[in-house]
Amino acid sequence: MTPIGAVNPLASSVLGRLDPAELTGVGGPNAAPLPPGGTAAVPTDSFSAMLDNLVGTVNAKEVAATQQTTSVLMGDSGALHQSMIAMQESGVAFSLMVQVRNKLVDSYQELMRMQV
Amino acid sequence: MNLISGVDVTASALNAQKIRLDIVAQNIANAETTRTAEGGPYQRQVVSFESELVKSQQANGGLPLQTVKVASISTDPTAGSKVYNPQHPDAGPDGMVTMPNVNLAFEMVDLITASRAYEANLSIVKNAKQMAEKALEIGH
Amino acid sequence: MIDPIFQTDTYQLARKLLDVSALRQQAIASNVANAETPGYRRLDVNPAFETQLRAQMSTGAFGSEVLKPTLSTDPSATNTKPDGNNVEIESELLAMNRNSVEYDYLTQVVSSNLKQLKMAITGNIT
Repeated sequence: MTPIGAVNPLASSVLGRLDPAELTGVGGPNAAPLPPGGTAAVPTDSFSAMLDNLVGTVNAKEVAATQQTTSVLMGDSGALHQSMIAMQESGVAFSLMVQVRNKLVDSYQELMRMQV
Repeated sequence: MNLISGVDVTASALNAQKIRLDIVAQNIANAETTRTAEGGPYQRQVVSFESELVKSQQANGGLPLQTVKVASISTDPTAGSKVYNPQHPDAGPDGMVTMPNVNLAFEMVDLITASRAYEANLSIVKNAKQMAEKALEIGH
Repeated sequence: MIDPIFQTDTYQLARKLLDVSALRQQAIASNVANAETPGYRRLDVNPAFETQLRAQMSTGAFGSEVLKPTLSTDPSATNTKPDGNNVEIESELLAMNRNSVEYDYLTQVVSSNLKQLKMAITGNIT
């Protein structure tokens, strides 16, 4: 039974060009750009580290969306469009995380069904 | 929540134009009033506007928006024309009546300008509302 | 992992330009409101913002600093009336229409990017 860690080579090649180091909301004051064609600092040493990373990014997006929405609700900012975009982005990020989770659960169940 | 952008500014303009329209209507209504409470004929009133900076705007260092308000409603002191009409109750010893200094053509032009400005401001706020509604549809 | 999928140039550019468009609508509101105020000068989005944005795009350092549009008196406005006011209601209304279409277009750009992402992630068409 192959350990989960063997998924790493695939993960690192697919995710190799992504840079998760910018754990900030897009468009927020700390948003840093991805240099075109930049290479990754994906923690390829562990799948769980990658998952932590994913959860962290999704959380950051939620925080950014809440910030934008609160400032619109309190009347500090009239930027309704930024609030809508931030909410949609956090929705997309969350949906990605949910799909990853679903696939993980499915693959785990698949593994458990294997006859030893 | 100020979801419709610029609505404070437009509201102030609608208010100011409404006051101007009221004054024009008052002038037209009193175009023939030769006797007022102060004595003497009615003197037409003039509205003057001034702008006011919106304080809560533009934290990024740009110029702020400006609302408009009525600075003063002042009386036009120019004397009205004198008309020869000895039968008029307010005629002087020489038979001349001093009419109000209201020029109807001028007042009508003012009326039309004020109405046009009012309509322009209405279309601005309608447009801002449409833009907000479009923003609400992002992602759908 | 997620941020790069939101980093495409058109999407980021559309987001920034939405700010510009919203700000321009406010400037037009202020201009029309003050169309008869003596001494009022027409406001518009500072043209320096556009040059800075172009510079950022060409160097590829897009979004590396917070670039916010601001309002300034429009340098290209002529036709000053005798009382110092240089607002023409007709050109303001035309600018409003143009700006409105621009805003619609930008929301469409952003929306279609988001919808594509959702489609890719969930596999559903709608």
